[in-house]
Amino acid sequence: MAQSVPPDREGFEREALVHLDAVYRMALRLSGDASDAEDLVQETMLKAWHAWHRFERGTNARAWLLTILRNTHINQYRRARREPVTRDVAELEAYTVFREIQDTDPAGTFFDRIVDDEVVRAVDALPPDFREVLVLSDVEDLPYADIARVIDAPVGTVKSRLFRARQLLQRRLYAFAVEAGYIKPRRDI
Amino acid sequence: MSGESRPSDCAAAVTQLYEYLDGELTPTTEAAVRAHLAECAHCFALFDFETAYCRFLQARARAQGAPPHLKQRILDELLFDGEPSPDP
Repeated sequence: MAQSVPPDREGFEREALVHLDAVYRMALRLSGDASDAEDLVQETMLKAWHAWHRFERGTNARAWLLTILRNTHINQYRRARREPVTRDVAELEAYTVFREIQDTDPAGTFFDRIVDDEVVRAVDALPPDFREVLVLSDVEDLPYADIARVIDAPVGTVKSRLFRARQLLQRRLYAFAVEAGYIKPRRDI
Repeated sequence: MSGESRPSDCAAAVTQLYEYLDGELTPTTEAAVRAHLAECAHCFALFDFETAYCRFLQARARAQGAPPHLKQRILDELLFDGEPSPDP
């Protein structure tokens, strides 16, 4: 352990460990397994602790931790299974389901009948590039600029991926709701 | 402006849909989208629907937190090098 700088456990607990829920949620969505997620979180927090003296005070600690988490996950993933499989985003069709439900359920009340497990399953089924921006935005509540920093991509990429991710997820949840009988499909199209 | 919304305004508004809802637009662009929504019933309803969708998504997807033993495990094993923390 490189501890030339005096350890600042209190500071680490106060500023980093408070984001444990956020780190765990992201780990769970990245790894898709509770036990893997715990190991991933533990490794992330260990790395963060060792790098704590390099953390720039006043910047977003949550985004910093999530960056470490993402890099740790990518490294593990590459080690275990080589490259993560990324589908060609251009192939994915994305458009709002509003046109289908605007006459029957314009307020989207059918969403409320979908249970949490189904939402999580649908999020986990998203292509990895889409899933991570959606989680960083809708679960972790990070602004676009921070998401861009975490995934090391331009803000424009964040915008387009988030747009497509939300639309794709919406379409899948709608398809699920139709299948489950929560909403009747429009028949006149 | 004729008071009627043009298809190009609708297309621009839809492209900026989530940036608008996420509060990521510049004040000028945000004002332009808001002005369009005030005069276009279709986009207004669409944005309403998408607002409901995003709220639903954020509420549901955030539900899960770290299990209580995980924090303890990290405190014990990482920060205190195996030395158990006092019970709360």
